[in-house]
Amino acid sequence: MFKHIITAAGLLALGTSAAFAHVSLEGKEAAIGSTYKAVFRVPHGCEGEPTNVVRVRIPEGVIAVKPMPKPGWELEKVRGDYGTTYEYHGSEVSEGVTEIVWSGGNLADDEYDEFVLRGYLTPALAAGETLYFPVVQECPGGLAERWIEVPAEGQSADDLEMPAPGVAIIEAAGGH
Amino acid sequence: MQRVKSGPGLTRWIAALALLLALVGEAAAHASLTGAEPRDGAVIATAPEGFRLDFSEPVSPLVLRIVRPDGEAVDLGDFAVRDRSVEIEAPAGLEDGTHVLTWRVVSADGHPVGGSVVFSIGAPGAAPPPVPEPVDWTVRTAVWLAKIGLYVGLFLGAGGAFALAWFVPVSRVASRAVLAFVAIGLAAAAISPGLQGLDALGAPITRFADPAIWQAGLETSFGLTVKLVLAALVAAGIAALSKNAGLSRILATGALAAGAYALTVSGHASAAEPQWLTRPAVALHAATIAVWVGALVPLGLGLRANAFDAARGLERFSTFIPFAVAGLIAAGIVLAVIQVETPAALVDTAYGRLLLAKLGCLTALFALAAVNRWRLTRPALAGDARALVRSIAAETLVVLVILAIAAGWRFTPPPRALALAAAQPASVHIHTAEAMADVSVTPGRAGAVSVSAMIMTGDFGPLDAREVAFVFANPDAGIEPFRRQAEKPGDGTWRADDVILPLAGRWTVRLDILVTDFDIVRLTTEIDIRP
Repeated sequence: MFKHIITAAGLLALGTSAAFAHVSLEGKEAAIGSTYKAVFRVPHGCEGEPTNVVRVRIPEGVIAVKPMPKPGWELEKVRGDYGTTYEYHGSEVSEGVTEIVWSGGNLADDEYDEFVLRGYLTPALAAGETLYFPVVQECPGGLAERWIEVPAEGQSADDLEMPAPGVAIIEAAGGH
Repeated sequence: MQRVKSGPGLTRWIAALALLLALVGEAAAHASLTGAEPRDGAVIATAPEGFRLDFSEPVSPLVLRIVRPDGEAVDLGDFAVRDRSVEIEAPAGLEDGTHVLTWRVVSADGHPVGGSVVFSIGAPGAAPPPVPEPVDWTVRTAVWLAKIGLYVGLFLGAGGAFALAWFVPVSRVASRAVLAFVAIGLAAAAISPGLQGLDALGAPITRFADPAIWQAGLETSFGLTVKLVLAALVAAGIAALSKNAGLSRILATGALAAGAYALTVSGHASAAEPQWLTRPAVALHAATIAVWVGALVPLGLGLRANAFDAARGLERFSTFIPFAVAGLIAAGIVLAVIQVETPAALVDTAYGRLLLAKLGCLTALFALAAVNRWRLTRPALAGDARALVRSIAAETLVVLVILAIAAGWRFTPPPRALALAAAQPASVHIHTAEAMADVSVTPGRAGAVSVSAMIMTGDFGPLDAREVAFVFANPDAGIEPFRRQAEKPGDGTWRADDVILPLAGRWTVRLDILVTDFDIVRLTTEIDIRP
């Protein structure tokens, strides 16, 4: 029985260290009406292969997106129409960056890296909900890891095999 | 390396600690299987001494078991966790066939995940065939006897009336015999719907008088056969009784036609494809049998009573009967080829063995017919018919045996139907707001299958998916999910070949449909797989 407990305790220790296999977002909350800095943490490649491409889809309600360039990676900003028109610093905005692609890199399976972008969280987002950024990791040989699942009603991200990274939306700071 | 023996205590400890972990850990991961030995889908020559499961991170097993080809699940208690791998000792005495190594583990995030590795020793195999349904021999014997009665009525009764009407001189004794055959046929036809109903519903003979049984019997395709046979036999009876030669000929011919048609509306042979060939072949076979064997009894009785008079009939019979027999044989060969499909099925199936027995009797019958024709007909025409009468009596007995064998086919699906039934796919339709799919597993039985899916959007629009995978699990048998990636063969479907579903029963099948790079739709349903 002792051995069992030791095994489980070992797992506990691992759990509290950074054994994150999912692509995840740093930080737990983001406020409406703020410019949010999203840090995507990529913990490993696909089935042992290195990651060459990281693609992030910008969810509806997030505008004025700017990615942070990364040495060794080419950056592509895919533009498209938003689902609706947003007001941003007094002007109407109906199109912008909808997908960001970092490509041409080589992040080995046993290495860790972060990919950063920032964007404005419009008041169209609802406080109390989770904002999901679907991410696709592409590797050589057509392999891919797709962190794109969003929980349905009554589900939690833990029920999903490939959960998209998310961040909790909170009320605008300062109440303006 | 830590070596652990599993047990309920361990499972409970882990579950409790896992819960704690879930509270402490942050965005930790579910483990995923990165490799296995034997690998998923492998066919290996000999039973392995052990198994290995490799995961993306360290895990602790909750459940490890192997599901044998006969469906029995064996818990695997002897395992060792080494880094990110679990090494398991195989139980002794693994037999040939398809096994499922099914696992459930907990990893750092505390969420149990499960999966299965399907592998085969020797060759992919399926579960052994199920115990056949018990046979109610009373009902079966009654159905068989009634079927023989029907044949006697049609071939000896209606066929006899036809012979009397057209070419055998009418004698009192011959007419009586034909009327007796018609009466046997009528009695058999009258009780047949009840017996058919008992057999269809699997009811015991005690429920023979139940109206529901009769209704069920009449509602099968056999109902129309019975009605046509009754009409044919009544017409044959009137033809045999009538003194008006013209009326007799019309009625007897009609009876023969109706009787032959009756046999084409039900039964194995008439159900076979191509129907434009099988149905006329059945009708021709039946009509020519009736013309030939129907003449035997009137002829034999006529020859015995008054050889000189009957000899004229014998002469006419000898002239045209070769044509009838040629039609009979041709139609019979066509039907046998369609039904039996392969020569091996002659020996391998009950249907084929009955056919062989029938062919054996037929050889005897043709031998007798040849002796009659080339050795005994001339003396009979000259006035001494005793030998021919004896031979005709023997011929009639052989005919009865053949009819009894043919009636036995009622219970033996032909190899064609057996092959068709085995190949039948299992299909299921899934419809959600996001997408719908028609999924088929072909053949729909345990073993090696191919799975295909036709996918559309929830509102019946085209859905051009990027990738599709099938995920199978069998919770009843304790088999955790295993995934098979589908290919797009270009006919609008998604297909995965060489999938092995090792057990019959209810499987859950999930379709993972990748619609765009960032959108996935999962559809889940259940599908019944036959043994």
